[in-house]
Amino acid sequence: MPLANTPQTNADDEAVGSRRRALAFLSGFGLFGSAVLSAFSNLVFIRPRATYGEPQRFSIGKPDDFPPGAKLALDDRRVCIVRERDRLAAISTTCTHLGCIVSPSDTGFQCPCHGSRYDQDGNVTAGPAPKALAWYKVSVLPNGEVEVDKDTEVPPGTYYDL
Amino acid sequence: MSPPTPLQSESKGGLARVLRELPSNVWSSVFRHKLPGASGLERSQTSFTNFFLHIHPVKVHRHTLRPLLTIGLGLMSFFLFVILTVTGILLMFYYVPSTTQAYDRMLDLRGSVAFGTFLRNMHRWGAHFMVAVVFLHMCRVFFTGSYRKPREFNWVIGVVLLLLTLFSSFTGYLLPWDQLAFWAITVGTAIAGYAPFVGNEMRYLLLGDNAVGQEALLRFYVLHIAVLPALMMLLVAIHFWRIRKDGGLARPAEPVRDVAPVTRPRLIGVQGFVRGPFTKIGNTPDNTVYAWPHLFIAELFVFVLTLAVVLVMSIFFDAPLEEPVNMTHPPNPAKAPWYFLGLQEMVSYSAFWGGVGIPGLMVLALLIAPYLDRGTKGTGEWFAKERLLANTLFLTFALLNIIMIVIGTFFRGPNWEFVSPW
Repeated sequence: MPLANTPQTNADDEAVGSRRRALAFLSGFGLFGSAVLSAFSNLVFIRPRATYGEPQRFSIGKPDDFPPGAKLALDDRRVCIVRERDRLAAISTTCTHLGCIVSPSDTGFQCPCHGSRYDQDGNVTAGPAPKALAWYKVSVLPNGEVEVDKDTEVPPGTYYDL
Repeated sequence: MSPPTPLQSESKGGLARVLRELPSNVWSSVFRHKLPGASGLERSQTSFTNFFLHIHPVKVHRHTLRPLLTIGLGLMSFFLFVILTVTGILLMFYYVPSTTQAYDRMLDLRGSVAFGTFLRNMHRWGAHFMVAVVFLHMCRVFFTGSYRKPREFNWVIGVVLLLLTLFSSFTGYLLPWDQLAFWAITVGTAIAGYAPFVGNEMRYLLLGDNAVGQEALLRFYVLHIAVLPALMMLLVAIHFWRIRKDGGLARPAEPVRDVAPVTRPRLIGVQGFVRGPFTKIGNTPDNTVYAWPHLFIAELFVFVLTLAVVLVMSIFFDAPLEEPVNMTHPPNPAKAPWYFLGLQEMVSYSAFWGGVGIPGLMVLALLIAPYLDRGTKGTGEWFAKERLLANTLFLTFALLNIIMIVIGTFFRGPNWEFVSPW
């Protein structure tokens, strides 16, 4: 650079100064951006794409395993299978308050943890629960087995007609 | 000091002398100064040439050393953190974060590992103490007005350390994989799910799954033994460093007395550094004493006391272990650890307000307190008259939390219904 030989004017100084500031700003922006991006990619990394736990979609056996009028809680699946004549539904047994397991009672469902109560369709009738129990999609697979899909919620009162 | 001489050029008794002096040479290379006598220079040198001591100031203000000013609570928190780190690392030798093995390992600690029960007791009681002591330390700092300028940000770091302490306890709670662990964490993470917008995503990230299971156990383990302790160590270091940079603990402004200024000639340059400042600026009397031995003895006392309490507790009381996890039968009532029972009590009225809204506002109030209280009078004294309003507000806040915890602990039975403990 011939800078040393040329007599410098104020304008030159200002040009160099503003160029430096611009470069410093760009480098700072780049470094900060990289930090944000790497923090974000760490978040992406620790968010599992596949889970190793209980599958959300599972088969529960033949429709005939659930006689008409049955209300059978599958505690390890956290779902209650309700059969009315020739139609089936799956209602969540996870309390919407804080995730305890509700158990079927004469009037519907009740939670042992904080005393929430639900009616037969899962609507809240007492206690701190903020919303009704979820209903899940039920379908019959080609092999004749009933499948519950806990990833897909359906409006309460939606039955699968056998 | 004599200059080092090469072995071969030694004229008299070469090797023998080197060997004779070997132990003292090794010793003096490790500890650069002898234990100090009465002179200030020796005491200063011992303080700032030792890695562990140089964290302290060479001289410390008398006000800071008054036991009733701090009650040693900050030190106690730190020593409990050290005790928890040591016992935690030892427990890691036998623990496996697996849903099929964790509970068996707990039984092994009790049945077949030498001192297993004792170490687990120390870790458990130490953790309970730490939550309590960190909270009391925060109360001390507030009631003495020590969070005020220029210590605002150190207070903020302290609040974050309190939250990290609670989160460490919470993550540790899951590890024994007993009924209490599983259902307390199920309830606790469900509360996180109530946070607006990010709640469910946060819960999923924390659990690594839709429900508490193997993934959650592994994640809580990693948080508990690596992420949180590392963060806390960093913040504790900054917390301590800032105490030094802010000129030690907060104390009332020195009363300026009408004394004659020190009139020794001022020494400039290296000599001035070595001999210390001869010229006092202003007319403030020197109220400091040497850290050696005054501060170090006080710290040793607090450490021994802390350790003694943990040891005695661990001898007489065993850390509880409940039935192994049964995912289909929540205990009734399913209670969180005592320091979260206030939260759980509030949650039984409204999950959002009790679990997220009110605690969030409380933390926000704590964080912003030093930026709202800009007064200067009454700093460094307990319950100063000038700080009546702030102290009353804080006391109300602390008592409300304690009352909630007491109700949740003693007055709640099955289905979280009100019961009388008598």
